[in-house]
This record gives sequence, structure tokens and C-alpha cells, in this order.
Amino acid sequence: IPPEGIHLLQQQHTDIISTVEFNHTGELLATGDKGGRVVIFQREQESKNQPHRRGEYNVYSTFQSHEPEFDYLKSLEIEEKINKIRWLPQQNAAYFLLSTNDKTVKLWKVSERGRRPEGYNLKDDDGRIRDPSTITMLRVPVLQPMDLMVEATPRRVFSNAHTYHINSISVNSDYETYMSADDLRINLWNLEITNRSFNIVDIKPANMEELTEVITAAEFHPNQCNTFVYSSSKGTIRLCDMRAAALCDKHSKFFEEPEDPSNRSFFSEIISSISDVKFSHSGRYMMTRDYLTVKVWDLNMESRPLETYQVHDYLRSKLCSLYENDCIFDKFECVWNGSDSVIMTGSYNNFFRMFDRNTKRDVTLEASRENSKPRAILKPRKVCVGGKRRKDEISVDSLDFSKKILHSAWHPSENIIAVAATNNLYIFQDKVN
Amino acid sequence: MLSRGVKRKLEDDEEIMAAETSGAFDSSSSLPYPQQRQLVLNMCLSKLQSCHMKVEPSLHRSVLLANTLRQIQEEMRQEGGESTLAAIYDGSSCTYNGGNPPATPAHNPELHSLLLESPVYPNNSSVTDNTMSSSVSAILREAGFVEDVNPAPACLGCSDSEELCFSSSPSYENDGDEQPVDSRSSDSLFGSFEISNSTSYLTDLALDDIFEDIDTSMYDSSDFSTVMSFPVPRSPVSSSEDTMKSFPTCISPSSNGIQICITDLNDLDHIMEILVGS
Repeated sequence: IPPEGIHLLQQQHTDIISTVEFNHTGELLATGDKGGRVVIFQREQESKNQPHRRGEYNVYSTFQSHEPEFDYLKSLEIEEKINKIRWLPQQNAAYFLLSTNDKTVKLWKVSERGRRPEGYNLKDDDGRIRDPSTITMLRVPVLQPMDLMVEATPRRVFSNAHTYHINSISVNSDYETYMSADDLRINLWNLEITNRSFNIVDIKPANMEELTEVITAAEFHPNQCNTFVYSSSKGTIRLCDMRAAALCDKHSKFFEEPEDPSNRSFFSEIISSISDVKFSHSGRYMMTRDYLTVKVWDLNMESRPLETYQVHDYLRSKLCSLYENDCIFDKFECVWNGSDSVIMTGSYNNFFRMFDRNTKRDVTLEASRENSKPRAILKPRKVCVGGKRRKDEISVDSLDFSKKILHSAWHPSENIIAVAATNNLYIFQDKVN
Repeated sequence: MLSRGVKRKLEDDEEIMAAETSGAFDSSSSLPYPQQRQLVLNMCLSKLQSCHMKVEPSLHRSVLLANTLRQIQEEMRQEGGESTLAAIYDGSSCTYNGGNPPATPAHNPELHSLLLESPVYPNNSSVTDNTMSSSVSAILREAGFVEDVNPAPACLGCSDSEELCFSSSPSYENDGDEQPVDSRSSDSLFGSFEISNSTSYLTDLALDDIFEDIDTSMYDSSDFSTVMSFPVPRSPVSSSEDTMKSFPTCISPSSNGIQICITDLNDLDHIMEILVGS
């Protein structure tokens, strides 16, 4: 079982973290929060001088991505909370990411400035204009090193295309387009063009009274640029091919697991609502998260998932309380590791779970300040379901449902994970032997 | 529409409910099934009706709640036949079909106590199946026919919401009616989510024609809040309205603004009447 290991960094945010994402190399880690801020961490280069500081993540850039807005037509506030961040693959020295709130997607450029030109002819180094009479010779400005400055600039703002709340953004493997999905519609954008988007999925019924299903998540296939999936609140996933039609209302594949009648309750539909869908890196599988389970699907098999993992089945008998306190509507995310052999997802009480698909072993870990000192090894946790509680176990009734891990990320190639616990970010790494 | 009714106190009721439901039927039902179901129904309605929000409510959550409500309703309907549903709603507050005079908010404060007091017993026939389904329909009324002009959307009986309603035959029910009206306030959950775009005749009108002779300088914005506000121009400005119209589902505020202004126009008349005292 991968990372149990050293706790590298615990960074306190000022606000609740709402999204976490590594970039394609894992060098950068971006977090977005409820206050509309984005904080980017950069991994320290390994140096022979300080081997113990191998791979720590330090703050690289902080900027305000979205501001609160007011929708005058509906007389409602538009939250500045960052719902998702997605990195673009790096094509030059600068880094690009997409960040979105409920209504507007923005493309940010994060670039370094480490040198500045000195030795202008018409102005001196402070910027003051030189008196022309004092200029007696011409010189060529030379780039001189300066203190590293990281600046973030908004390069594109994609707005006014979503009536409902954006829940997902996904960059296409063609690196030219991306999609944004709200409750009822999915739009396709060109990264260069902000005043126009194409609607590719629309599930809004003509009569809103007939609305029974919403889109909960969407993602492009990692290598097939024409393929994407979207999940729904009824526990279904539709795979669509953009080559088939301009409007992808007819799916190419429809994934749904038949309901187990013995588990039927008032809350069956609510807990079947899919909160996250992620393709595996290979593109052969996809993973979905609903309230109690994580499921791995083979894209070639629509009738049922390949694997089902119970995240916290002990909550099944508590559904009424969880419905009452609204926890049943919590949207947990799930992530693959780099080799698609392990999957991870969050739970309550700051617990998060990892499942090894090959060995079928699973572990529960906790992200909390008390239990995590730097360099300490995380201890597996266990929830006691009934009967006698052992010493290190915690009983279901003692779980703290206000401490939920909804967002996490896994480094693309190494065993480093980032876990967001309310407004704390934890980064864990596999033990180094 | 202009008077502000008393805001129904939901908090007290929620406390009662919380006390009743905490741990209620968590582990293997000590409660009989019909009571479990009633409990869930109560919670469902209470969640759908909560109107303490400045931010747009989650459509996802609302849809899930509405589906649960429908499911329970369907079950009850199958079980009980026509006249055996419990008093979920006071009968008179339930007819929302276009043109019928909607109930006053006075009924709705009782709504919640009714929910709590009457368990599901087959003999209680004060409310028919029809009223149950029409009230659910009212909650789920099509967004396209409703303009949500005030904070507190999706409020069954929340008298503060001054929502305006186009029924399917566009007759303006609020003529001369100063009370905040149920059919509008109880509308859609989903009504707050989208500006009307279903009445196509409105989109044919040019924005300028509507505005040319309206003088709104005398209206105090604090009284009428967003009824008078005109759409805020958004940036970046799209290339042309034609371009936006060719992507019909990319709703642009400018095309919706036309419909909002038509609504405002009728409100203006009404408000003028009141101000002038006729």
C-alpha cells in the first residue's frame, strides 16, 4: 500500500479549500478556495546540499482568481468560490491553468520574471527620463538578474455561457479546446476564443417541471479528443462521441448499474448520485464516486462496474441523520494514482481511503494536525461498526461529520498525495528508504 | 406584490423536526414504515422550502429533494387510493392552475404544523390526491414561466418573495392584487434558476422600443429593488446579438433582459397606479 509516509507540508489556508490539482509534471500543485483565491505550490528541486528537504512544496504564487459578483437579474450573489482548477500542459516557460467559479472560467498565465533589462538610453534604471543633453553615447541594454518574481495574469475570461452552476471543466487532449459543464448543459470552448462557445450537451427539459436529473461531472477522455463522459444525479454515466453529431444528446454508451432491491430506501436515489467521474490515465477505465462507494468501470462494459469499493458503508444505517444535516449531499472526489493501480477518495472525520486494485487491500488514513508531525508515519485508522470497540478504533457515532475530505490529488508519477481538509492542505509522501 | 407580509418562522419548526428526527430511524427502524416515510416527507418539504439564502440554491440538491418527494407521493398514492392521503397541504392552498386565484399566504404558516401533526392514517381524507399532486407540481413549476425578481427564490409561502408569474396563458394574475401571491412564490424551485425564455413573442421586440418612453427616475430603488433594475451590461461584450442567438442555449443577458423589461413594464403600470393613488 502506497503512501503512509512522511508528512511533508501542512499549509494553512485562510479559507476552505475547494479544489486541489497537480500539474502534468507534478512540479506544481494548485489549490483554490472559497474566497476565490488560488495558491500554487512548487516542489523544491532536490539538492545535494540539503537532502532532507527533498521534494517539499512551497508557496510559489498566490492570486485572486475570482471576485464575488452580484447577478442583478436574479438578485442573487454569485460566489467567488473556485470550483475546479485544471492545468494546461506546459508549452513554454510559463504555466497556464483554468480556474472556474459557478459562472465564469478564466485562463491564468503564471510566469516568472527573474531578469530585467538595465542600461536604457532614454531613461535611467529608476525609470526617470534622462535629460537628452546628458546622453553622450549609445549603449545596449543588458539583462541583469533580479529577485524572482512570479506573476499571474488573466489571459482569457470565458463568461456568460452558463445559466446554471459550473461543476466541471476539462481540457481536451488536443490542447486547443476544453469543456465546461453545469447542471444541465455542457459547452465546448476554444482556448483562444472567449466570446463564443458551442453547446454539446443539453438535458434541460422543455418543461422544467419535468426535470428529474442533472449533470454532476464531466471529463474528456485522456487520449481520444472526440470522447467525453458525463455523470448524472441518477447514478448514470454517458459516454459521448463528438464526431457523431454537433449536439451530443444521444450518448454512444450508457453506464448504469442495476439497483439492488434489497438496499432500497428513501435515499437510494440521492446516494446513487455520482459526485465525480475520472478517466484512468490509460484511458481504458473510468472511476465514479457516489455517496457510499467508488466504482471502477471498463469502458467496454456498460452493464455494471468492474469493481466496487465501499468507502464508508457503516453510514448506510445513518442515512436519515445524514439527510437531515445535509451531509448526504456532500460531493466527494476520487483520484487515480499515476499507474492506475490505486484509487483514493475522502470520507468524514478527516479520513481518506485508498484502495489497491491489484491486492484488493485498503487503508484508512487521517489528515489531522494532532496525528501528523513532520516526518511522522501515518497510522492506519479503523472505524468500529458495532459491538466492542477496540483501543484505537473510533465508533461511528463519534465521527465528526463537519470534517470532510472532499478534494484530493495524486502526483502524476510519484507517490505524493495532496489532501484538503477544510482549510488545511496536507501533502503526504511515501516513505523513502 | 408590493406589501411585505410577515416572514413565516421556519426556525422553530425546524427545531421541532430536528428533535423528532435526530437519530430517528437510523438503525433499523423502530418506527413503523408509514411514519418513517412521513418523517422523510416532512424533512424533504422543509428543505425545499427553506429560503434563507442570498446565493442561488443548488439545482442538484433541489432535484434530488423533488425526486424524493415525488417518490414518496407516488408510494402514498398507490397505497391509499384517491382520498386517503394525509393532510399534507391545506386544500385551499393548492390550486395553481393558470387563472385560478391563488391562496393567500395565511394558509401557509399552518402548513408546517399540519405536516407535524397529522400522521399518515388512511382515514384522514381532508386532502385529496389531486391537491397533493398539484402542490408538488406547483413546487416544480416550469422555470420558463416564472420570473424571479427577488432574493428568496423557491419559497413556498415565503411572503417576502415578490415573484412575478406568467402562467401558461399569459394572463397577469397580479393585476390589482397586492398580496404576495402563493402561486408565484411557491413556484418553482427551479424558477429561480433561469430567466424566462419561453415566451417567444417577447424576443421579437427590440430593446430600445420598450425603453424609449419610460422614466424611472421617480422610483425609489430601495422599495422596488430589482424590479426596476435593468440588466447590467456584462463584459466581455459578445460580438453581436445574432451570434449569441445562433447558440440558443448560451443564454445571453441581453436577450433575457428584454423579457425582464416586459415584466417590469407591467409592474410599472401597477406601481404607477398605486403611487398615483387610483
